[in-house]
Amino acid sequence: MEKTSDGKFIVPIGAQHPALKEPGHFEFAVEGEIVVGASVRLGYVHRGIEKGCENRNWIQAMYLTERVCGICSHIHATAFALATEKLAGVEVPARAQAIRVLISELERIHSHMLWLGVAAHEGGFDTLFMYSWRDRETVMDLLEAVTGNRVNYSANVIGGVKFDISPEQKETILKGIEFLEERSQHYMEVVTTDETFTGRTRGIGTMPYDDAIRLGAAGPTLRASGVARDVRTDSPYAGYKLFPVNIITDTAGDLDARFIVRIKELFESYRLVREILDNLPEGELSIRVPRRIPAGEAIQRVEAPRGELFYFVQSEGGENPSRVKIRTPSLLNWASITNFAPGHKLADMPMILAGIDPCFSCNDRMITVRDVRTGQVSNLEDLKIR
Amino acid sequence: METTQMLESIEKVLKPFAQSFNRPSAERLDAVVKAEDLKAAVKAMVDAKWLYLSTITGLDIPAPADQPDAEGHIEALYHFCEGEAIATLRVSVPYSHPVFPSVCEFMPSATLGERELMEMFGVVVENTPSNERLVLPEDWPQGVYPLRKSFTGLNKG
Repeated sequence: MEKTSDGKFIVPIGAQHPALKEPGHFEFAVEGEIVVGASVRLGYVHRGIEKGCENRNWIQAMYLTERVCGICSHIHATAFALATEKLAGVEVPARAQAIRVLISELERIHSHMLWLGVAAHEGGFDTLFMYSWRDRETVMDLLEAVTGNRVNYSANVIGGVKFDISPEQKETILKGIEFLEERSQHYMEVVTTDETFTGRTRGIGTMPYDDAIRLGAAGPTLRASGVARDVRTDSPYAGYKLFPVNIITDTAGDLDARFIVRIKELFESYRLVREILDNLPEGELSIRVPRRIPAGEAIQRVEAPRGELFYFVQSEGGENPSRVKIRTPSLLNWASITNFAPGHKLADMPMILAGIDPCFSCNDRMITVRDVRTGQVSNLEDLKIR
Repeated sequence: METTQMLESIEKVLKPFAQSFNRPSAERLDAVVKAEDLKAAVKAMVDAKWLYLSTITGLDIPAPADQPDAEGHIEALYHFCEGEAIATLRVSVPYSHPVFPSVCEFMPSATLGERELMEMFGVVVENTPSNERLVLPEDWPQGVYPLRKSFTGLNKG
């Protein structure tokens, strides 16, 4: 802790484990218990994935984008595949697009439940943390049943998907969803009625509508401030034209509203999963796409669990993309912390941090490996040689 | 269609600042803008209630291999999204004078995009509120810009 010339103290939080198990560095200026200023330093898990895509062919690049985030991996590969398919000018079968959406929604369920646990933990409510993570295993099992993996499902190929849904899998998913829906009703009751919990969330970190727009916030953080913006309804992609989503908003703009919006989104995802399973279009799972993708530029926006994910993909007609730009939703939400942390108690900071559901791996996409003995910094090429 | 109308009306708004327009697809409008007109164009977008700058994409366009004497450019793409519509302001600057004006005066959320652009492409963003490093490590060498095409790894320079 250091003292500044004007008598404030700077409390550093992070870089290791600031609120959740990912690195980010925050500096909060405090006067007594009250935070009067906040700043953020990111980049601790920056891995150079945008640059890495330029040296890989289209299929390899899709696998690489899936590794931008360990939580919402499927949505990254989906966005990249959709952008590539736009450039190639191919029409992906409706069944494949519906399965993409099905897995996206299962992924959203797992992501929101993961967040619920982390946020409850930061609020000192570890019972809810344990319960939500126990129940989250149900959706992890469903994802494993469909794709063979708990994370990094590799469900996409350029031109469609790899996995079909069998009648047995359909029954398994429906059963799992029924259990999760019942549990989510319980969570909704807890976060809206438990006084020890609402004492930590009501009126905390409030971001009014106008500020949410001005700061360019995204996803549930934005919708909890009353802004009805969701790529799934604004610009439906993949199977969302066939299976429309009801947009969830709340007007309070505080931490409590962010809990309510995310839990309501769980219910909307359950509804959507059921609807897709009952009305899965017949047809092929994929269409052939050439190795070389015609020159051009494509933009693909998708709704990741944390908000709008933006992909810009450029081709020069070769076997590699010539530029891939990725803007993840977490990046848009930092401003809501640095702007709305001041005025709150220092003890509220972990929960305000967790409230936006930040994902550091998404922001930061580069790795350098440092040799502790020589201090030499290596990149991917050196590691390959070793 | 609503999206088409929105793009047509924003095209009219941008007319005084744009050198040319292009419609790459039904939901997109690209407007080529000179660096000196960028701030005015962003202000016009904000006045027309296009309040969401989704991101800034940087592109490095080196001189073509068969024209070694030609000059490379850095292009910045300011993507504004509204509903389904995407309006992009495309600004290109030469290597010899890689300077963009900051648009944070009218669009405060641009600060992270501008910091990323400076770090990754080695451009100057004049009057940007913060030019501290955003994602690269503290000990990253000065003057090395990883998203330039000429960058192939630290040890090879």
